[in-house]
Amino acid sequence: MEDARMIAAWIAPGREQTAAGEEGFRRLYEATSRPLWGYLQHASGRPDVADDLLQETYCKFLLRETPAMDEAESRSYLFRIATNLLHNRFRSRDDDAREEPAECGTQTDEDARLDVRAAMRHLKPRERELLWLAYVEGMSHAEIATATGLGAMSIRILLYRARQKASEFLRPQRIKS
Amino acid sequence: MKPMSCEHESSVIRALHSGEWSSELRLHAAECPDCNQALQLAEALGEAARRAEAGFQAPDAHWIWQRSRVRAREIAVRRMTRLLAAMRALAAVYVAAAALWLLRGSAALQYREVASSMHGTSAGFALMGAMVAAVCVVAGLWPILRDSSEAS
Repeated sequence: MEDARMIAAWIAPGREQTAAGEEGFRRLYEATSRPLWGYLQHASGRPDVADDLLQETYCKFLLRETPAMDEAESRSYLFRIATNLLHNRFRSRDDDAREEPAECGTQTDEDARLDVRAAMRHLKPRERELLWLAYVEGMSHAEIATATGLGAMSIRILLYRARQKASEFLRPQRIKS
Repeated sequence: MKPMSCEHESSVIRALHSGEWSSELRLHAAECPDCNQALQLAEALGEAARRAEAGFQAPDAHWIWQRSRVRAREIAVRRMTRLLAAMRALAAVYVAAAALWLLRGSAALQYREVASSMHGTSAGFALMGAMVAAVCVVAGLWPILRDSSEAS
């Protein structure tokens, strides 16, 4: 509740350059940076790209000139900025931005990680984004539409196709293991 | 016919995240192949997310805040520079026009005749011209005055 109050105080007009403004931002950042980085890392396929885009996302967010937002709207808006930055990146560096991530984590998780990574490698960036927003972030179709800029009506069918595709690539490896 | 997912899929995913399952929804998720597939995928992706995020070191929020302030200042400077360049160009045009008028027109102008003939519409136009000139001067001075007051 305290976090929500601080964030609201920061989001309100006239937040510029105040200590309370920075404190509100810090709390919003702590609440959103981890899932946002996960999304960027998963959709881009590269932790280094995710690091860059994460910072860029928050900078753009802080520079925005939009009406006041509550925490949920800010979160949705952050994902939208991140998605746009991802698409810009894909357009400008088409060859190397879609590779799968470098190894990270422990050996005991190897099978499960490879399972998901292998499946994701076969998906288009847009499909990865949709799956992540729907199943990891738990966003509704309307929220996904806001975050991706796609039409709300098309989300359901695109998500369905992406899920079918991902499941096709996940299934054989699960059976094998 | 377009392929469509089960209408309960969103509720199932919401329940997975919140942990609040109704008995009907749990039963449906177990029986519906569509929701079952979505559930399995959500669990696999959720696990992948947890593993990836475990190794994440967030950059300092203060550093990002400072970086955005610097960027905001750079943008403001760029905007102001563009505005000043436009004002400078306008000023050059104005000076050139004024110089031309002084050299060629003023000598031939009969001031008394002009003043006596100015009434009604022409007086209004003259007043409007003076006001536009004043606004231009204020608009040109305002950014300079604001910058100097911020600097002090």
